[in-house]
Amino acid sequence: RSRQDRHYFVVIDSRPDPRSLPHSFSDLQILYDNPKETVWKFVNNLRDRPYETTLSTFSKFSEYLLYRNPETRPDEDVADLFNQRLMETPTAVIKSSVEEEGYHVVGRSALLPPRPVVCRGQPLSIQQWASATDDEGRISDVDSIKSIIFKGGVSPSLRYDVWKFLLGYYPWQSTNAERQDLRKQKIEDYFRMKLQWRSMTAEQESRFSDFRERKSLIEKDVNRTDRTVPFFSGENNPNLVLLYDILMTYVMYNFDLGYVQGMSDLLSPILSLMSNEADAFWCFVGFMDKVYRNFDMDQAGMKKQLSQLHTLLTAAGPDLSSYLDEHDSGNMFFCFRWLLVWFKREFSHDDIMTLWEVLWTGLPCSNFHLLVCVAILDTEKAIITDSNYGFTEILKHINDLSFKMNLEKLLCEAEAIYLQLENAPNLTMSTKRVLGLAPDVSPTSTSSDDDSIVDASPDKPESESFTDDFEQGFERAITTNYY
Amino acid sequence: MSYAYLFKYIIIGDTGVGKSCLLLQFTDKRFQPVHDLTIGVEFGARMITIDNKLIKLQIWDTAGQEAFRSITRSYYRGAAGALLVYDITRRETFNHLTTWLEDARQHSNSNMVIMLIGNKSDLESRREVKKEEGDAFAREHGLIFMETSARTAANVEEAFINTAKEIYEKIQEGVFDINNEANGIKIGPQHSPSNASLPPGSQSSSPSSGCC
Repeated sequence: RSRQDRHYFVVIDSRPDPRSLPHSFSDLQILYDNPKETVWKFVNNLRDRPYETTLSTFSKFSEYLLYRNPETRPDEDVADLFNQRLMETPTAVIKSSVEEEGYHVVGRSALLPPRPVVCRGQPLSIQQWASATDDEGRISDVDSIKSIIFKGGVSPSLRYDVWKFLLGYYPWQSTNAERQDLRKQKIEDYFRMKLQWRSMTAEQESRFSDFRERKSLIEKDVNRTDRTVPFFSGENNPNLVLLYDILMTYVMYNFDLGYVQGMSDLLSPILSLMSNEADAFWCFVGFMDKVYRNFDMDQAGMKKQLSQLHTLLTAAGPDLSSYLDEHDSGNMFFCFRWLLVWFKREFSHDDIMTLWEVLWTGLPCSNFHLLVCVAILDTEKAIITDSNYGFTEILKHINDLSFKMNLEKLLCEAEAIYLQLENAPNLTMSTKRVLGLAPDVSPTSTSSDDDSIVDASPDKPESESFTDDFEQGFERAITTNYY
Repeated sequence: MSYAYLFKYIIIGDTGVGKSCLLLQFTDKRFQPVHDLTIGVEFGARMITIDNKLIKLQIWDTAGQEAFRSITRSYYRGAAGALLVYDITRRETFNHLTTWLEDARQHSNSNMVIMLIGNKSDLESRREVKKEEGDAFAREHGLIFMETSARTAANVEEAFINTAKEIYEKIQEGVFDINNEANGIKIGPQHSPSNASLPPGSQSSSPSSGCC
């Protein structure tokens, strides 16, 4: 591309044989009728409208190769070859969510390997837990314990102990004696913080509006959290006081965050399991440490996750992702509740315990909870697209899935999708970042907009500045497609 | 059941003013004080009759806490009516009305009908906001106003139905472009000119609309 005139491109054919162009087109089996004529039409048009012709033709090819039904698609080899070419050059198709007037935006899906069949395992048993615990109480082979939990959860009777490790209350390497000391310290800390708000005078409170606001919100919300669950049901249930006290103490523990709706949902299963106030508090703190960004005042953390979810969906199910884009739903807002409280409102109390302990393992990748979303959406894809649902209907349909989903099946699917993505040859860099398969970028850079294809070839193109220029031009070009 | 029109409503207002309870009272005719707090948005729907026409109200109930405002905003789009709710026993929920109203006006279509609701009118002894104040606020901002009680069901039907009547009148006057779904109004399936072939019987439940 010329530096003087941005409309001027030089196309170099490394093979001077004039027959090679029509020949390679025939190989692709794209042009059925008269390849030669089509090619010459292209050449003529190229002379008159070089930029448009190049781009529209190129996008037609990419669309043909990547999106046509398998039966009309040329041999996988050809497609693979084509993909490889895309990866080796910096001209790769870049996904973009910007729609310009008169252009249709296309995304390029990575060609995924077939989805494997994945089975769930047995929950971590008392025996397994005992044999992983040494004489002094240290937990050995944490990785395999975690992977058992990831595959099958934890036996209910072990949860009281195991959750404390999963939530960072106890270090895995601590001894029984150390844990005893630690717990003593934690309980003391808890009650010190509790005393801070308990000892506040009415006068003090009257001049402390931030505190008052939080307090009144918590008062309201503990009365409407899981009241159908036996642990919290009935009038004047004493456990509601525990729920209240822990949330109030958390306000003192982390006043910057304070209390945001959704937190009581995250605390409720933990409290009902731990029963003990201080233990529940510290486990809740551990959970909050993982998800505090969900409760940003400006919802930046939620928006980031929704966009990451969109990235993953684009990689794993491009059809659905473009359907959503075309139906005002590309912002993924309909998944808001899922993400805010980690599916708490979607599954039964028992299922939530399993799901959370699976997610707490951090296996098999970062943001596995987003893959659970992808698995649900994948299951619902046919209904959404076949019924031609719009923004409202999608939101309603997703909301109505509550308590109707099969967790075990979804976890299998989510893991299978992960394996598919992990083995996909050409995931975008941003997809890899979301899954933790590539290093995260510094928070200052605009990672969510950067969807560049991972450059698999170690040889960097000769001139960086030329490449950047080239990339930007093609980014604009390739994401626009004449319809 | 097929309807002549579908109106989309949104319920907004501070957290804990009784938005979900109003919705539940209207759709299910029951009061459930221990209803889980709303996260994101929830739905309700009910058929009503205005001018002998069946109208389906599709109601979106939103989370009230301020942190969720930026997400809730996206739901204003395409609403024909809004119920802006405050709690007569909590002055601050009344004080926040201006912010809510600004937000609603800014993110909705200009014809959206807004009904101001002072809820919990059964708790007279704890009243902090006088009825006259609600009245004055509504007059000043061109809203319809009512005090309701989701607990006793007082005025709940009226609140939803009066809003619908106002929207219906606007349709009759030609203020609303009913062919633009962004206005929060949809013509029922059998009334749509583009959908002529329907199974027999679907026509029977309501007379065909003589829509403007």
